[in-house]
Amino acid sequence: MHNLDAAGHVRGESQYLDDIPVQRGTLHAAVYGSPLAHGKLLSLNLEAARRAPGVVRILTAQDIPGENQIGGIVPDEELLAGSHVHFQGMPVALVLAETEPQARAAVKLITADIEPLPIITDPREAQAKGELIVPPRTFRLGDPAAAWAECAHIIEGTAENGGQEHLYIETQGAYAYPTDGGGVRVHSSTQGPTAVQRHTARVLGTGMHKVEIDVTRLGGGFGGKEDQATTWGALAALGAFVTKKPVKLVLGRHDDLRMTGKRHPYTSDFKLGLSADLKLLAYEVTFYQNAGAAADLSPAVLERTLFHACNTYFIPNVRATAYSCRTHLPPNTAFRGFGGPQGMFVIESAIAKAADELGVLAWEIQRRNLLQDGQVFPYGQRVEDCNAELSWQAADQKFELKKWQAEVDAFNQQSPVRKRGLAVMPICFGISFTKTAMNQARALVHIYTDGSVGVSTGAVEMGQGVNTKMIQVAARTLGISPKRVRLETTNTTRVANTSPSAASATADLNGKAVEMACRELRTRLLRHAAEDLKMNYEGLEIQDEQVLAAGKPAETNWEKLVSTAYWKRVNLSENAHYATPDLWFDQTQEKGHPFAYHVYGTALVQATVDAMRGTYDVDAVRLVHDFGQSFTPGIDRGQIEGGLVQGLGWMTMEELIYNQDGRLLSNALSTYKVPDLYSVPKVLDVEFLETPGHPNAILRAKAVGEPPLMYGLGAYFAIRNAVRAFRPDVRPEFSAPFTPEKVLLNLYAARESAAAPAASQASGAEASVRN
Amino acid sequence: MAQENLNPTAPADDHDEARRTFLKQTSVLTALALTPGPVVQAAAAQWDEKVAAAFEKVPLKLDINGKKYRLQVEPRTTLLDLLREQLHLTGTKKGCDYGQCGACTVHVDGQRVNSCLTLAVMQDGRKVTTIEGLAEGDKLHPMQEAFIKHDGFQCGYCTPGQIMSAVACIREGHANSEGEIREYMSGNICRCGAYPNIVAAIQEVKNGGQKV
Repeated sequence: MHNLDAAGHVRGESQYLDDIPVQRGTLHAAVYGSPLAHGKLLSLNLEAARRAPGVVRILTAQDIPGENQIGGIVPDEELLAGSHVHFQGMPVALVLAETEPQARAAVKLITADIEPLPIITDPREAQAKGELIVPPRTFRLGDPAAAWAECAHIIEGTAENGGQEHLYIETQGAYAYPTDGGGVRVHSSTQGPTAVQRHTARVLGTGMHKVEIDVTRLGGGFGGKEDQATTWGALAALGAFVTKKPVKLVLGRHDDLRMTGKRHPYTSDFKLGLSADLKLLAYEVTFYQNAGAAADLSPAVLERTLFHACNTYFIPNVRATAYSCRTHLPPNTAFRGFGGPQGMFVIESAIAKAADELGVLAWEIQRRNLLQDGQVFPYGQRVEDCNAELSWQAADQKFELKKWQAEVDAFNQQSPVRKRGLAVMPICFGISFTKTAMNQARALVHIYTDGSVGVSTGAVEMGQGVNTKMIQVAARTLGISPKRVRLETTNTTRVANTSPSAASATADLNGKAVEMACRELRTRLLRHAAEDLKMNYEGLEIQDEQVLAAGKPAETNWEKLVSTAYWKRVNLSENAHYATPDLWFDQTQEKGHPFAYHVYGTALVQATVDAMRGTYDVDAVRLVHDFGQSFTPGIDRGQIEGGLVQGLGWMTMEELIYNQDGRLLSNALSTYKVPDLYSVPKVLDVEFLETPGHPNAILRAKAVGEPPLMYGLGAYFAIRNAVRAFRPDVRPEFSAPFTPEKVLLNLYAARESAAAPAASQASGAEASVRN
Repeated sequence: MAQENLNPTAPADDHDEARRTFLKQTSVLTALALTPGPVVQAAAAQWDEKVAAAFEKVPLKLDINGKKYRLQVEPRTTLLDLLREQLHLTGTKKGCDYGQCGACTVHVDGQRVNSCLTLAVMQDGRKVTTIEGLAEGDKLHPMQEAFIKHDGFQCGYCTPGQIMSAVACIREGHANSEGEIREYMSGNICRCGAYPNIVAAIQEVKNGGQKV
């Protein structure tokens, strides 16, 4: 089944926020953002802007009727700067004008008198100064301090990863209207309608019931509109609330880039202990997360880093500590993987470093330490239904790892300037919001008297195909054609208290709720049929819109059934609530059962480096992924390919650069490179691992949104292996992205001494052991 | 088909005031007027009004999706803003407004252009085709069919630009191999990463031999 939005998309008829027809009297908004990253806001000069053509009103923190606060996890983020500014681009004033160009022109006339305060951009510096968003957290398993004595090899090092700009092609925005009774309705480009509603109500000093949020679809989100859409929704709502006129606020690309947070950069220290036979025995890791100027979702991202610190490996002794460090960058936020990729990058770096030092291939270490049923994750959850070995073996079998490695080695033997590297990237990703309470969803299903069906959920369609999945679930459960089912907009008045569309869990949570509602409706309809047609209820079912009794067509079909049920006053609407069973987590012990299940997979990645230029190609990615029982294979395959490409981008070309003043230098597509058609590997194989799926997954089709992003990490290590094929004496630092510039610097790094290269070529048995 | 459509663009007036002020502020005489003196200032003000009036609106004839338009537009209006804001053809998307993402791709006299990078007045007398003009009524263009068949999108926001670019890519003769498609479609960013399916869709249309 194809994406149900397809027809609208290809005709340009699908409506996104900026396409909504503008109401009479609409004001257009533009935001004045702080020119400094940190300082005391002494005064704002708004006079020139007020006099500018078309300007109707300029709002500042003083105009907020309720609380000037939009912090979700920690109340540390003002909607409009009050006494201080905390990052460049932090919203300070909102200009409302008759046209968008007028509003933007007026913003340029605003000046602010700001007393500069010291700027921190480095998370380690922030940590040293005690600038933490929340207290640090530590996950523990076994006793690493005691285990070091048993280790034959101990490897220590540092790994750093950069941030990542979401670059949803549709920028952030919202369109708010005043409604009867002092309320406000907001069309928002958000993944989290309830978050926008909650914070807007707080800002306006009103109840959530007076704030309605409606979302049709997003032109991409990737986490960037989970929490960060709130600012723009609340600002538009504030404008509408104060002026009693519709207010539209759509960020221009440059404003979006400089005002919104990204994936978190991390810098981390690791210490990994191995036995003589390459078993991982102990792992200590400290993560320094660059959270930016406010908490946003950073504490939750930090938590997921800890959950994924060991990736898909069993390590019996672990101590993982994470600091969420407050700096003066825009508040960093959710991005597909949500801290998981950052955690995995460090353990993979540690393994790569161990491989360097022991003179073995990294995958020899990886494959010896894959998770198995009955083991335990550092957070206390038992490993069950584990497909780590299964997916590795399937990939090994299908893509012939040893043979491939031999081909790469042979190529490198005969090729002096072009060198290849092969890396294996196995993944294990936990599915569920790590905040247990968020694992709930509701669905509202109406069957209309003509047999058509309307479904509302809390899920937001942003390209992941969730609407198509919801329609499939409803149609299958009711036994009718998907053509009869319509997915409504996501609206807080129809489905309240929603969790954001995030954590890969949207289809599972909302789909389960749809399934429950439709089951109840089906039961009701069949009970009515049994009564109406004097048949046995047992054995009645609906298939292909026909009612079957003990497998044989009965005297009624879907349309007749619905129509007669209505006349017998059967309730044709149902509201269902789903909460993922058996989840819990005790933060005081850092133990529990936080995930409904885990998704596994194994990717083999080959890169070729041009050792003259430092440029490279990711030639091939061949992977086996644990989909469970996919019922939308086209959509799910697309998620794998898209997630992979984003992961490749993050690891190779996407380089976010802030200067010491906290100013974003990579502030356009000309200076921040995202994957284009060239970035897709020429060979891209996605094999479906046949598994029974999981009962907590919708129709046993496992969640597929985030896990594939982490296959992209394989590109980093493949490129690194290619660099080392050219320069075996060089051990590139673990610093992502591995841009061609960095590759070149490594290829032509100064040769330390005549003795050094020889030592690095020592075999595993002879490798020196560091402590 | 060719329907005469006289100035269907009331919203254009929204910009008048800003335009007038801008011209006033930037005219040469305003610079002179910085020298104090009531006489000079008065003269400058008169001249400014004339300069502003002369440049406010420019007549423009365009054929858009087979429909003829006579328009009055400000010289600084981009083709993208004309399409979206004045003619309400919102199928063409604004992704970056700097010619860096390709979401706004349309055809002008059959050539693909980034409509955010071209001023509307530069296209006087030309024929513009947007995503809304690609299908013939209910009959989708083969490229639109192929994008559906191959799921050549996820969120759909870049899709109109991708499709317009893809049609031109084939017409230009630049879709003869996967490598060529990569090169000639590299200006259209799809952040969802639906690239493999986009290539598959283009190859199918190219190999299908249908008229594009």
